[in-house]
Amino acid sequence: MIEVKNLVKTFQAGDSTVTAVSDVSFNVPDGQFASIVGRSGSGKSTLLSLLGALDTPTSGSIIVGDRDDVTRLQDRELTRYRGRSIGFIFQNYNLVPSLTARENVMLPMEFARVPKAERRQRAEKLLGEVGLEPDQMDRKPGRLSGGQQQRVAIARALANRPQLILADEPTGNLDSATGKMIFDLLHTLSRTQRTTIIVVTHDLEIAGKTDRTFTLEDGKLVR
Amino acid sequence: MNPVSRGIRNAFRNGVRTGSIVLILGISIGLSLTMLVAQTAVASKIKSVKSSIGNTITVAPAGFSPGAQANNVLTSDELSKVQALTHISSVEETLTDRQSTTGSSTPSFGRFGGSTDSSSQTTTSLQSPITLSGGPRFLSGGGESSDSDTTNFTLPVSFLGTTNPGSVSGDAITLSKGQAIAGTSDTNNVLVSNKMASKNNLSVGSTFTAYNTTLTVAGIFTSSNSNQGADNTVVLSLPAMQRLSGNSKAVTSATITVDSLDNLSSVTAHVKSTLGSSADVTSAQDQADNTVKPLNSVKTVSTFSLVGAVVAGAIIILLTMIMVVRERRREIGVVKAIGGSNARIIGEFMVESLTLAILGAVVGLLIGVVGGQPVTKMLVDNSASSTTTQTAFQRGGMMGGATPADSTTRSRPRSFGQGLRRNGAVRGFGNIKAQIGLGILLDGFGAAVLIAALGSALAAGMISRVRPSTVMRTE
Repeated sequence: MIEVKNLVKTFQAGDSTVTAVSDVSFNVPDGQFASIVGRSGSGKSTLLSLLGALDTPTSGSIIVGDRDDVTRLQDRELTRYRGRSIGFIFQNYNLVPSLTARENVMLPMEFARVPKAERRQRAEKLLGEVGLEPDQMDRKPGRLSGGQQQRVAIARALANRPQLILADEPTGNLDSATGKMIFDLLHTLSRTQRTTIIVVTHDLEIAGKTDRTFTLEDGKLVR
Repeated sequence: MNPVSRGIRNAFRNGVRTGSIVLILGISIGLSLTMLVAQTAVASKIKSVKSSIGNTITVAPAGFSPGAQANNVLTSDELSKVQALTHISSVEETLTDRQSTTGSSTPSFGRFGGSTDSSSQTTTSLQSPITLSGGPRFLSGGGESSDSDTTNFTLPVSFLGTTNPGSVSGDAITLSKGQAIAGTSDTNNVLVSNKMASKNNLSVGSTFTAYNTTLTVAGIFTSSNSNQGADNTVVLSLPAMQRLSGNSKAVTSATITVDSLDNLSSVTAHVKSTLGSSADVTSAQDQADNTVKPLNSVKTVSTFSLVGAVVAGAIIILLTMIMVVRERRREIGVVKAIGGSNARIIGEFMVESLTLAILGAVVGLLIGVVGGQPVTKMLVDNSASSTTTQTAFQRGGMMGGATPADSTTRSRPRSFGQGLRRNGAVRGFGNIKAQIGLGILLDGFGAAVLIAALGSALAAGMISRVRPSTVMRTE
C-alpha cells in the first residue's frame, strides 16, 4: 500500500512561486497497477519523482508499506529506500552506457550488497523473463533497440524486488507495437509478482487498461 | 563488477580523449620528474661540494696576485691579533717567494715587495724539476712569439716559509727521508721534494745556495701526483724565510682554521674587521657559495618548474574530471536513483581520475628517464657557462697566462687562482649524475596520486550536488 497525504511541491521561478503539485492525496493498494494521466506540465513527473524520493516535497507525507514517512528520511536512508523499495523505469531508458545489459541489471543489486553470483543469476533470469535473448545480455545499450533497452530497464527496476515500481512514460519513445508489448509486460508483472506499479502516461488507451487512473490538472488531482 | 573496475573501464570510454589526456598528463608528470631528477642531482652535488670544503678562512695581502707584483704584505703582528680571536683553532702563516736558477734568463714573476727588476734578485743553485716547453709564448700571453720561440725553459724555484711544514698549499706532504723541520724555529734546514732532490742530486744533509746563503736538506718529501707546485717548492720555516728574504715578519698568506663550521661566518666577519682593508679574507664558505652559485640557480629553476608541472597536471585532471562529471550528470542521477550513494559514485570517479594519472605517470616516467640527464646537464651547463663568462670578465687580467700559471698555483697562497679553481669546479658540474632511483619513482607515483586527488576533489563536490531528480528531465 502506498499512501499519499496532502502532498505539495512548489518551485521558485524568479520572483514568483510555481505550485507543481498541490495538496494531492491518494492511496494505491499492493499489487495494483495504477496510472497518472494529465497534460504536459500538469505535474505528473514531479509527483512521480516525489513518490520515488528523487525530490523532496514542500509539505505532505508519503508512506510506502510499513515504512516511516518517506519525506522525513535522511540522505543515507533515502538512498537505501530508492535502492531497495523502488524500481524506476524512465521514458528514455536511462541505462548506463558503459555497462552491458546484464551489468545494468546487476548494478542496483550491487548497491543492495547482493552477493555477486546471485546478482548474475538473478539478472539473467530477469532479462530472460522480459524477453531478452542470451546473446543480447552482453551488449551495451548502444547496440540494443529502444524496446530491448526498455526491457532491460524493466529488469533493472525489478532487480531488488521493490514494493513499488514507478514508470515515467515507459512507452513514450517506442512504436505502438513495442509500446503495447512493454505495457503488457508491466501488467503481467503486477499480476504475477504482486508489485505495485504506478505509470505516468499520455496515452489514454494505456491508462484505460490499468486498475486505477488518476488525473492531474495544474498540479491538482481531479479524478 | 565493482566500483574500481567500473572506474578503470570508464577511464577508457573515449579512447581518443583518454589518449590525449594521458599524453598531456605524461608530459606534465615527465617534466615534474625531470625537474625532480635535476633538483636531486644538483642538491646532492651542492652537498658534496660544501662538504668537501673545510672550515677554513684564507687571508692574503690585499691585491696580492701571482701574475702581478704585490705591493704590500701582511705581518705576523697583524695576524697575531687574529690569532687572539675566539673560535680559532689554528693559524697557518706562509711567506712565498721565487728564486731564479743560476745562469738562467728565466723571467721572474710573483715576488713580493714590488720589485720588478730581475737583476736585483738573488738566484739559487737549484734547478726546477719542472720543464715547460714554449715558455716565452705562454708568458707573453701567446700572441707575440713565432714558432722559433718555442724553446724549453726551467721554472724558477718556489720557496715556501711556513709555520706548518707538514703541508704545501693545503696538500699534506709525506716525508720519505730525513726528518721534519719545525715551522717556528729559525734554522737553515729545509725540505725538498724527491723530484727536486733527484733533479739536483740532493740527499739528506746535502747543501745548496739560495739568498746567498747555504741551506741544508733536512728531509725529502713526496707529494700527491697532481701537485707539481709542491715538487717545485723548497719548504722552510717561516722565521727562516723571513730572515733570508729580508722581510722580517712578512706574511703572504694565512690559513685560519675555525673550531666549527657553525662559527665560520662570524669568525670571517671578525677577521675582516680586524685586518681591515689590508687583507683579502675569503672563507671556505664563501668559496663554496661561489662555487655552487650556478647550481643554486639550477635548483631554484627546477623547484619552480617542478611545482608548476605538478600544478599543471592537477589542473589538467581537474578540468578533465569537471568535463566528465558535466557530461555524465544524467548518468550520475540515474545511479543515485537506483540506490548508488555519493561515496560510491565519488570513489568510482576517483578511480577513473587515478587511472588517468597513473597512465600519465608511466608516460611521464619514460620522459623522465630519457630527459632527466640531458635536461640536468643543459640547465647546469647553461648556468655554469654564464658564471664562467662573468668570472672571466671580472678576472680578465690574470687569465692571459692561465694555463701555465695554473700549474704553479699550488705553490702559491691559497687565495691565488681561486677564480681558476672555481671555473674548474664549474667545469666539474658536467659530471653531475642525474638518475631515477626508487625514491624518485615513488615520488613520481606519489605526485600522480596527489594530482588525481587534487584534480578529482572539485569533481567530487559537483557529484554530491547532482540531484537524482535530474534523471526525470528529458533532453
